[in-house]
Amino acid sequence: MNRFINALFVASALAFPAFAAPIVGEAAPAFTGTDADGQTVNLSDYAGKTVVLEWTNEGCPYVKKHYGSGNMQKTQAAAEADGAVWLTIISSAEGKQGYATGEHAKAVAAAAKATPSDIILDPKGEIGRAYEAQTTPHMFVIDGSGKLVYAGGIDDKPTADPADIATANNLVLAALDDLKNGRPVATPESEPYGCSVKY
Amino acid sequence: MRRLPVLFVAALAAAGLAGAQDTAPAHPLNVQASLVAETEGVQPGDTVTVALRFQIREHWHTYWINPGDSGEATTLDWTLPEGVTAGPLQFPYPQRIQVGPLVNFGFSDTVLHLTDIKVPDNATVGQSIPLKAHAVWLVCDDICVPEEASVSLDLPVVAAPPPPNPSAAAEFAAARAALPMPSPWPASFAVQDGKVTLALKAPELAAAGLESAVLFPVKGGFIKNAAPQAVETTGDGLTIATETGRRLSTPEKAQAVDAIDAVMVVTGKDGQTKAFELKATPGPAVASGGDGDTLSVWTALGFAFLGGLILNLMPCVFPVLSMKALALAKKGGGATSAARAGGFAYTAGVVLSFLALGGVLIAIRGAGEAVGWGFQLQSPVIVAALALVFFAIGLNLMGVFEVGTNLQNLGNTTGKSDGLSGSFLTGVLAAVVAAPCTAPFMGGAIFTALTQPIPVALAIFGALGLGMAAPYLALTLSPGLVRRLPKPGLWMERLKQVLAFPMFGSTAWLVWVLSLMAGPQALALSLAALIVTAFGLWLWGIAQRGEGGWLARGTAIVAALAVIAALVVVPGMTASTAVAAAETSGPKSEPYSPARLDALLKEGKPVFVNLTAAWCVTCLVNEEVALSSSSLASAFEKAGIVYLKGDWTNRDADISKLLEQHGRAGVPLYLFYKPGQTAPAILPQLLTEGIVLDAIGAPSSPSS
Repeated sequence: MNRFINALFVASALAFPAFAAPIVGEAAPAFTGTDADGQTVNLSDYAGKTVVLEWTNEGCPYVKKHYGSGNMQKTQAAAEADGAVWLTIISSAEGKQGYATGEHAKAVAAAAKATPSDIILDPKGEIGRAYEAQTTPHMFVIDGSGKLVYAGGIDDKPTADPADIATANNLVLAALDDLKNGRPVATPESEPYGCSVKY
Repeated sequence: MRRLPVLFVAALAAAGLAGAQDTAPAHPLNVQASLVAETEGVQPGDTVTVALRFQIREHWHTYWINPGDSGEATTLDWTLPEGVTAGPLQFPYPQRIQVGPLVNFGFSDTVLHLTDIKVPDNATVGQSIPLKAHAVWLVCDDICVPEEASVSLDLPVVAAPPPPNPSAAAEFAAARAALPMPSPWPASFAVQDGKVTLALKAPELAAAGLESAVLFPVKGGFIKNAAPQAVETTGDGLTIATETGRRLSTPEKAQAVDAIDAVMVVTGKDGQTKAFELKATPGPAVASGGDGDTLSVWTALGFAFLGGLILNLMPCVFPVLSMKALALAKKGGGATSAARAGGFAYTAGVVLSFLALGGVLIAIRGAGEAVGWGFQLQSPVIVAALALVFFAIGLNLMGVFEVGTNLQNLGNTTGKSDGLSGSFLTGVLAAVVAAPCTAPFMGGAIFTALTQPIPVALAIFGALGLGMAAPYLALTLSPGLVRRLPKPGLWMERLKQVLAFPMFGSTAWLVWVLSLMAGPQALALSLAALIVTAFGLWLWGIAQRGEGGWLARGTAIVAALAVIAALVVVPGMTASTAVAAAETSGPKSEPYSPARLDALLKEGKPVFVNLTAAWCVTCLVNEEVALSSSSLASAFEKAGIVYLKGDWTNRDADISKLLEQHGRAGVPLYLFYKPGQTAPAILPQLLTEGIVLDAIGAPSSPSS
């Protein structure tokens, strides 16, 4: 009987998360969100285009590393120059670090001279959980067919030190470059690094 | 234009913060970093261990080599005189730190990172070696702050073996004990259906008895950090099963992984914790019969069926089944086709009721309500109504009145044509009364069911129902079995009367539950309702025998109305304080609240949590058997354990939440938080005093 109960507990423990994890190489989880202007945004609105998802939290030192140095803005501009859509997503819950109203989120982006295609406010963390976004920043690249082709860090130097950007390999740019040239993405996954998403 | 100043300030702030690393911190650091040597000096050519000591601000934490879902490991860069060399920075085993839905691996309070420093043979005795290093770390609570500090230490070169540094001896001993040692046992891993199972072939560990085991892969991406880890001891070791991370998320990727380096932290029954470094290679996850580790849908269905079978033996179901068997016996096994039809009708009744209950549970769950199994017994009106139904059935069995038409079919079908609906209703009744019994036994499976897609969830509920209906169905389907039932006779009357007593027992129990839920007023009211019921049914019986005429019938109808009125009043009543704590000599408990638990854990107090309900028989048995002795009370007192009791008799959202956190849909649940730990040990659902004493690390007396 004990073993029986144990097995049941195992079953319940294993069954804990009911959602399916996003898997690189498979369809990216669909989502509907609200942007900083209060408009509804669907991932499917951008079918046929490459989409970059960026999780952010203005108070996180790792986000500051990439915005303070201009690295994130450069990556953004390069992606958009190639026709990609860049969605900045804020999943901080109300009252937590990085939570932003639409006005505030736009002001922060403007102050940083960032040019996201749109900023999505996700204070309930629904999109964040669907993508299992762990960190800020946490980057995802979705190709024109809706397939998730990259998930992970912005680069391969997981530190808060801006000096490391010079020697880091920007994995988002690398993935976009592979996509543009019709190659399979050489590094489709990496360990995301940064602050935890403040769900 | 009005926005301009705001933007300007924001830009300034951003620039200032981005550059903060180059300047001295404006605020005191969250971590006090220092270098400490294990001995008071070092001999030429010798090695000394030096610790980077972190004193971390309360509630903040720093990170392990693999920080988990977020964070960054601490680094240390040495600047050393020529000839002096430093070994790698060593990390003690970490703790799991829950941050919302994410889990980090790291350290809180005090942590010592050890490094071995080798000094050259030509070091001059009497001089000091300046050890300088730059430490960089990330420290977080709700927010994260990267911090850094230059630390230094002058190490005297001495001629004689140096004495240990007295102020640091205890901390060094603890730090060494927390360093993972190479595992003497081989480890393997297997990946299937999104789960990775790691097996450690360690018969010594299995034999010694395990309290807990936690796996920390050295690199990220192998496991889903926040997923629960299910530990099972097997004949020759243990297995840990959890969900796969991105590196193992598809069979192709898993194939490409040739080893997983990990630290396994094992706490034995003796309360000792050790950490082992292991390299798991692909292989069979379990050496012997460990299907339980990767429970597929089919296995879950099988267990649900088995659970349903067991339900037949439950005190709240068995009387119903007995009555069905009784009805069969009355027919003497003659009308097998009618019996078969009755069996199927009963099965349909049970299965449909379980499906309906499951459907309701899923629907309510979907609506975001914190409900658990057994919830229908959390409503006083249902409890009161059930008590009356059981009482009436008991009176019927006693022969106070006969049920000629519809009501009879609830408990006593005869195999006539209208017996089919009766059988169906019996099935429904059996399923409804089974619910409180299922909570303790089926909590896990139901939770599984509720986290599955709806078709699977319903299938599990259906399997539960099928299992429950199976014995009676078998009896009706196999004529041989039916014929083996005893011939009808006077014994049946006697048996029928005897069966009234379990019904009265159930009534008594339900009334007691009601008194806890809704207080003494409801108790008085329900007792009055019982008496009125008895009176009404007695009159009804007289009328049935044609002895009372219209007067008896009329009075019976008035009695029925009175009972209904009583039921309407009951829900308005609530218990003043419904803690089911009868006076015992066991440990003194306080009511559970999340705030109280948090406060105690922050104080670093050991806490024992008991989640219980008056209608949960398993809970009450456990409390009687394992939690009510004075020796346990003194063991709790000695260890300074605070005993928190959560009463789920009436629905309580806070308790539902705690249950859910630990993968349960119902009570009982027993948790023990060791001093200073926020992740509790989960005790078995069937307790003995020995298990409790073991769990809290007290010596269990030989007599218990």
